Amino acid sequence: MATMEYQGYKIENIAKGKMDYYVYTELCKGCGLCLAKCPINAKGEKCLSWSKEVGIYQTPAVEPDPALCIGCGTCALICPDSAIRLEKKA
Amino acid sequence: MAYKLDIAPALPDAQNEEVGASKFCPGCGHGMVLKSLAFAIDDLGIKQKTVFGVDIGCCLLAWNYLDVDTVQNHHGRTTPVIYGVTRANPEAIGIAYMGDGGGLAIGAQHLVNAAVRGERMLIVLVNNTNYGMTGGQMAPTTLPGQVTETTPYGRDCDATGRPAKGAEMIAAIANPEKSYVARATISNMRKLRSTFKKALETVDKGGFAFVEVLSVCPLNWRTNNVDTWARLQQMEEYFEVKEFVSGSEGQNG
Repeated sequence: MATMEYQGYKIENIAKGKMDYYVYTELCKGCGLCLAKCPINAKGEKCLSWSKEVGIYQTPAVEPDPALCIGCGTCALICPDSAIRLEKKA
Repeated sequence: MAYKLDIAPALPDAQNEEVGASKFCPGCGHGMVLKSLAFAIDDLGIKQKTVFGVDIGCCLLAWNYLDVDTVQNHHGRTTPVIYGVTRANPEAIGIAYMGDGGGLAIGAQHLVNAAVRGERMLIVLVNNTNYGMTGGQMAPTTLPGQVTETTPYGRDCDATGRPAKGAEMIAAIANPEKSYVARATISNMRKLRSTFKKALETVDKGGFAFVEVLSVCPLNWRTNNVDTWARLQQMEEYFEVKEFVSGSEGQNG
């Protein structure tokens, strides 16, 4: 199988510096289902928000706030197009 | 700006990586259902012997989504095509993938007869309460009072009947010892994956499996991301999410 190259952006040091957050702009369609499912903390804040980056349909993609994200992975689990990946740092 | 990333997305092995973004609308539930199905195929390691049949409707856009042998059929005729394949080739594991129109309207007869005979196949019925590809008309599963293109004042149950409950119907007629019948929802992705896994295990042992999945259609529902999940919750209240028949445990088929 041909090796694919993926375009996107990476947000480092989420979840207290333990993980990296990858968003693939060729896959993100900007549906926002992840934003609705992102859990809120005790102060009612969500870590995900719309990004300045755009997805494949030129609609905004998402980005987490590294200070708030706990790396639960709900967004990556429900993303219909697998556009989000959370990876633990080695 | 976006730049080249050093690792690939976490795609299941049974998913076709070369397609890139799927052809479904933004927010479509099919992506989540197919992702879970592909992970379940990976878990059991049955990618090489799986035959995947797609019906007409939005689900036909899955024709190259999975990296397994795929056949695309006439509307509602996925069920007979796939059990034809599994009868001719007893090694194969057949998966028929359809929407609520293909399964409960035009293909209802095939669905019923496959369940009565206990054909060796998995039927995945994705229920999004309307006909998505043609623009959101009323389907058999449209909720009472739901506004669609053809029911602009809400579905009137006196004139059009009550919503069809596919999983209950199949549970009533399927062989309780050799079948697996369940309803799942995309709001619980881990449960969805384990449901597909149990269903595929049942088929591997020679039984019949039917999984109805409650899904979303933000484009035709005209809902934003928050309202989409709220509408799905209404559907879960109407269509009970549970395992109806799980009689294959301890059986050898």
